[in-house]
Amino acid sequence: MMNLIRILYKKEMLDASRDKRSVMAGLYYAIGAPIVMCLLFTVLLKQLSSPEALEITIENANGAPNLVRYLEGQDISHGESSGVKAITLVISEQYPVHMSEGKSAEVIIIADKSDNKLIKSVRRLEAALARYNSEVAGLRLISRGIDPSIMRAVSVQTQDQATPDSKGGMFLGIATLSIIIALFYSAMNLAIDTSAGERERNSLALLLSHPLSSTQIVLAKVAAIASYSMIGLVLVLVVSKFAYGMVPWEQLGFSINIDIMFILFCTLIGLPIALMSASLLVFVSFMAKSFKEAQSYVAFVLFVPIGLSMMTTYDIGTDYVQWIPIAAQQYAMIEVIKGNELPLLQVLLSSFSTLGLFAIFAALSSRMLKSEKVVFGL
Amino acid sequence: MIEVTELRKTIANVQALNGLSFKAENGKITGLLGPNGAGKTTCLRTVFGLLQADSGEAKIDDVNVAVDPMSAKQQLGLFPDPCGLYERLTPREYVQFFAQLSGMSVQDAKSATQNVLNKLQMNDIADRKCQGFSQGQRMKTALAQAIVHKPTNIILDEPTRGLDVMSTRILRDLLLMLKEQGHCVLFSSHVMQEVAALCDHVVVMVKGKVVAEGSPQELCDKTQKDSLEEAFITLIGSDEGLAA
Repeated sequence: MMNLIRILYKKEMLDASRDKRSVMAGLYYAIGAPIVMCLLFTVLLKQLSSPEALEITIENANGAPNLVRYLEGQDISHGESSGVKAITLVISEQYPVHMSEGKSAEVIIIADKSDNKLIKSVRRLEAALARYNSEVAGLRLISRGIDPSIMRAVSVQTQDQATPDSKGGMFLGIATLSIIIALFYSAMNLAIDTSAGERERNSLALLLSHPLSSTQIVLAKVAAIASYSMIGLVLVLVVSKFAYGMVPWEQLGFSINIDIMFILFCTLIGLPIALMSASLLVFVSFMAKSFKEAQSYVAFVLFVPIGLSMMTTYDIGTDYVQWIPIAAQQYAMIEVIKGNELPLLQVLLSSFSTLGLFAIFAALSSRMLKSEKVVFGL
Repeated sequence: MIEVTELRKTIANVQALNGLSFKAENGKITGLLGPNGAGKTTCLRTVFGLLQADSGEAKIDDVNVAVDPMSAKQQLGLFPDPCGLYERLTPREYVQFFAQLSGMSVQDAKSATQNVLNKLQMNDIADRKCQGFSQGQRMKTALAQAIVHKPTNIILDEPTRGLDVMSTRILRDLLLMLKEQGHCVLFSSHVMQEVAALCDHVVVMVKGKVVAEGSPQELCDKTQKDSLEEAFITLIGSDEGLAA
């Protein structure tokens, strides 16, 4: 039994290694994804973190020297350089008069609030103006003998509990998503070729007319596909290690650091997923009647793991989703990267259910190979 | 020995086999002759267990294929139509792979592969990938695969298609040698010359049924024709004869 599986497995691996182009096409994902992610993160980080000094256009600055000085203290100043933001602060003509008379002095912010890149800077300017407003108002109250705290019915204090690593939640989600997806994508071509392709080339019937069981054939194919999935996984982890090392994480104060322990951990929890994904791909490919049909079905089916992974990434129903295969493993990867305790129970349970799915898909595929309709694509 | 009794099989509303019975003895070459669509391939596929008959049974060396497929297939070599080559493997790898699947050890499979490659004069293409092979080269590779493990029973589905004269001669000699060694050879064909030259026993089938059997000479005598071709056309009725 095992001997035949070994012979079949060796042949599948040899056959696949000869089909360099389609195998490489699968592995390009593993090499490309981390590099694309690295570029994406770099751009995202730049957009999220506005630089410390904010340069805007201030019109009629002479009308409000105190306000301008206050804003400069908050690193907001009038600028003419290329880095100046499209925000204009107009100080009205009557500002000095109204200010000295104790009336409301008008300032106008002109900016496009639909521009996402600008919104953070506009909020910052608004907040600075609001603080200046309450400061001046406080002084006026004091000069009239009134405690300025009367104006503060509620004193809001926010304590930011975000640790640097937890701030990167979404980045972590996307990074781990791209790692898990590699397991599914790297061997997709091979899976279709070795099942639907084998049938189309008429070698499946020949194989089945030899003294071996359909279970042996399916297990050998799944093992070969899973091997390529694992190659994809290790590749994506190694490339990620270097790619994420080049992202300027310090701008947000956290980092995704992929060390050798994490790579080993991922390889370990990736193995059941690889087996499950391989058996799923084989099952779907045999269900289709032709190579092209199989390609379409496989593309559909891959939405399921991506969906599960997305739910973890965007923290949707995490309490339940973290127990489901794939999502659970990704959740565990995120926890390990964050340096939190490993959710051992989830990892074990989901790994077992992943292996259970592998057994189910393998059994279904092997049963399908006993059907003449499937073997001859009738 | 291959024996089928009362095989019936319907595929998609077509009665492909309709009570087919015949026997292929050891040490004899049995030809399955019939026009296109007579059910030859369906019959052979049923014999090696890829199709399940609706009723009736197929036995290889007295083992019912449907009951114990593993031991039935153990003594079977198959030359299928189409060939089912692995394009990215070389004939040597291909033949050795199937030899091992039939239960040979690595060493035995290696030497058996070399033997059969010599026998079929394939050494010049033995280590080239099958991709781009001519029809004849493909047929030879498939043939090598069928006989590498020296099975008692060898089934060939249209083995002469696409072979050049030299290869046809090699195939003919090979089949005669297998017969000499006491193997049971069953092949389907619609090439009369081949069947006439090789077969000890001819089974003529039409629409899933045996219409006549016997040696080529017996068939000629029975129909009072000079050639097997004429006899064949008389046996199957002229309409199907044209289709062949």
